[in-house]
Amino acid sequence: MTVVFGIAAAFSVVAVIVICIFLFVRGIPAMAKVGLFDFLFGVDWRPNNNDVFDQALEGMYGILPMIVGTLCATAGALLVGGTIGYLTAIFLAKFCPKKIKGILSQVVNLLAGIPSVIFGFFGMRVLSPFLGIFTSNGSGSGIFLVSIVLGIMILPTVVSLSKNAIEAVPDAYYEGARALGASHEQAVFKVVVPAGRSGVLASLILGVGRAMGETMAVVMVAGNSPVFPTGLFRSFCTLTATIVKEMGYAEDVHLSSLFAIGCVLLVFVLIVNLILHMVSREKKSNRNGRQGRLVPDWLRGFYAKIDRPLGKFKKGCCYGAAAFSTVALAGIVLFVMINGIPHITWDFLTNNYTYGSGPTIMPALAATGLLIVVSMVIAIPIGIATAIYLHEYTKRGNKLVKVIRSAIEVLSGVPSIVYGLFGMAFFCTFMNLGTSIISGSLTVTIMILPVIVRSTEEALIAVPDSYREGSYALGATKLRTVFKVVLPSALPGILAAVILAIGRVVSESAPLVYTMGASPRPAPSGLSSPGTSLAVLLYYYTGEGLYLDQAYATAAILMIIVLGLNLLSTFLVKKLQRRTTGA
Amino acid sequence: MSKAIQSANVSIKDVNLFYSDFQALKDINMEIPANQVTAFIGPSGCGKSTLLRCLNRMNDLIEGCKVEGTIKVGDVDIYREVEVNELRRSIGMVFQKPNPFPMSVYDNIAYGARIYGIRKRSELDEIVERTLKQSAMWEELKDRLRKSALGLSGGQQQRLCIARALAVDPKILLMDEPTSALDPISTGKIEELCAELKQTVTIVIVTHNMQQATRISDKTGFFLLGDLVEYGDTEQIFEAPRMPETERYITGRFG
Ligand SMILES: Nc1ncnc2c1ncn2[C@@H]1O[C@H](COP(=O)(O)OP(=O)(O)OP(=O)(O)O)[C@@H](O)[C@H]1O
Ligand SMILES: [Mg+2]
Repeated sequence: MTVVFGIAAAFSVVAVIVICIFLFVRGIPAMAKVGLFDFLFGVDWRPNNNDVFDQALEGMYGILPMIVGTLCATAGALLVGGTIGYLTAIFLAKFCPKKIKGILSQVVNLLAGIPSVIFGFFGMRVLSPFLGIFTSNGSGSGIFLVSIVLGIMILPTVVSLSKNAIEAVPDAYYEGARALGASHEQAVFKVVVPAGRSGVLASLILGVGRAMGETMAVVMVAGNSPVFPTGLFRSFCTLTATIVKEMGYAEDVHLSSLFAIGCVLLVFVLIVNLILHMVSREKKSNRNGRQGRLVPDWLRGFYAKIDRPLGKFKKGCCYGAAAFSTVALAGIVLFVMINGIPHITWDFLTNNYTYGSGPTIMPALAATGLLIVVSMVIAIPIGIATAIYLHEYTKRGNKLVKVIRSAIEVLSGVPSIVYGLFGMAFFCTFMNLGTSIISGSLTVTIMILPVIVRSTEEALIAVPDSYREGSYALGATKLRTVFKVVLPSALPGILAAVILAIGRVVSESAPLVYTMGASPRPAPSGLSSPGTSLAVLLYYYTGEGLYLDQAYATAAILMIIVLGLNLLSTFLVKKLQRRTTGA
Repeated sequence: MSKAIQSANVSIKDVNLFYSDFQALKDINMEIPANQVTAFIGPSGCGKSTLLRCLNRMNDLIEGCKVEGTIKVGDVDIYREVEVNELRRSIGMVFQKPNPFPMSVYDNIAYGARIYGIRKRSELDEIVERTLKQSAMWEELKDRLRKSALGLSGGQQQRLCIARALAVDPKILLMDEPTSALDPISTGKIEELCAELKQTVTIVIVTHNMQQATRISDKTGFFLLGDLVEYGDTEQIFEAPRMPETERYITGRFG
């Protein structure tokens, strides 16, 4: 059995290798033609370069403006979403009154699944016109808006993961601090939160990765001129937005240059992962080595004096952040619902699409359903088997495990638009599957694999070792222990993981635009026919600007599905937990 | 070839155990008689649990753990002549912290039986009833067999774990401080249980509680820093210890 699990686990490694090969093989021609230096540091992006007489000139492919744009957007998102999310998490974990804690945490969990297109849509329809009041050109697009939209987008992720990390800190730490005379705030900020730091950092890694790789939300609010972001409200462009904007018509060097941008994105994500890894390792060793040496007494006295008020201040920040998060997220949900639900009609839901008929959503529902089924059927078994292999079948420090873990880390960091590029190059073209449901599903499968692996592994880690010992002590084999004791105990967590993954499939649009289809079309007749998923359809309608009511309706439906899924997952988790804890 | 374990006396010969570089057991020699209660006592970290876990090879699960010497149960060398899961079937174990599985009371007890291929409802019912009676829990639990075991009190959970271990008819039952997490009443119940169970199984128990050792054990081994300092009849150990360390320990001068 070890072999079976091992093969499943090796899948991720193979995926990473194939992704890299296909991206680089397609991207290198452009880099070679333009020259790596001119490509990375050129300041002009003019793929269709014409002179004043409209004669075609050689295209110019400098991506520095977009690199800077991506970095700025990411930093802005981290500033907004990271800070507020972190503080909100502390609030939820340690300051929130019991009564509303359960509800609030669930709401945050629910909101973690809101599709990024909806954030973009909200930014475009509400925030941009509003900010436009204050700008000279009447549009709010630019780095400021992008930061806010991305910040709000990563909020739920940061909040719920950081909160989990903080709550996972043993109560004994808190009690120990209180027993030494620390106030509640001191115990929280000095002992509990630092102890949960590595988990909080992990949540920020995810947040940064999401913001950096985000495509759809950005392309809707950035303005998309390929120039440096020279002001908070100036139109600019990111790497991801460039790809999705131009993929549809790019040819030859231009097309290759988009793949090259994909390579750059990939490298970026790797660097981010690496840096954060180093940071978290350093923090850990600091904590071990520091033990109260070399702090001058006067400083210590001073610190002790301001410590309590400081704690109060930090606590205030937590309350403020929590209020902001709640208002922002609830605002988006309500806005979409109120504007969308009135336009959901029976015909809109059930009519198939025919050329020239009005907008309809049934084909998109069908396509999304197929997408979910196919991707889950493949990803769930592989994902769970991988997690089992990593956590139950291997020893710590095993080289192979390290490789597999890094591969999964890379997969989870790869921006969704890069999956889109890869899917197009590999499944559509190389495997000759064309623009089809199957191509889209396979692309998405690889993308959600890390989600399933990680959450499953978390769930396995949460199973106490005493269960395993108990089972082994009765003479059970490893396989039986895993399947009869460990997996059932981990089931709520695994289920939550799967539903989380389904939510992601429903919400994703960037990987599907060019692998599955991006315009209204009749319901798919099979896995080999193209199909436009709900989220992609929303992107299409928003871009068209013709069918605003239908766009709202689509957004509302998308939201209802995603929130419904998440509700279902929390409900199931609760139910199973009750069964297994005997409460 | 896996030999079947027939009798229940344990003989430990020249056992040395290493956790990577650290030697946790040094030249242990000891004969544990069948159908008696043998207690391991000694200060924290002296290797009691380690030796206990050698007897059903739970140490196999620990990375870097190396065992030298021979341990025989009856005439079977447990590290060489028997398959590990088969061994653990014959030698049950109860842990310091009660660890019932997150399943119903019934499924907890049936777990072991199911491992050995017993599927028939009636047989399982019979096993559950017999072991619950054997561990004096039938009256308490017969109406909540379908409820989750995690809803039981700590003492009940621990006795359930004993029942779970008994369900596969072990020859030997190893207990690692089984009452250290329990209140005096539950502790008393488990001690009574031990006294009854030794008719059918051999019991090896680790305890920090001197009174407990004197109350329930027939033989006592005193460990110190990985050495078996003294081993003999419980009465003799507590009333006329031969070694000065033993005396110091049982009169509470260290540990
Ligand atoms: N998995 C392990 N890896 C390394 N060293 C270990 C391991 N388990 C135990 N030890 C060490 O072996 C020695 C004996 O441990 P053991 O748990 O057997 O002691 P004990 O007598 O049961 O103590 P206690 O009364 O506290 O349970 C200790 O020094 C302990 O630190
Ligand atoms: Mg011990």
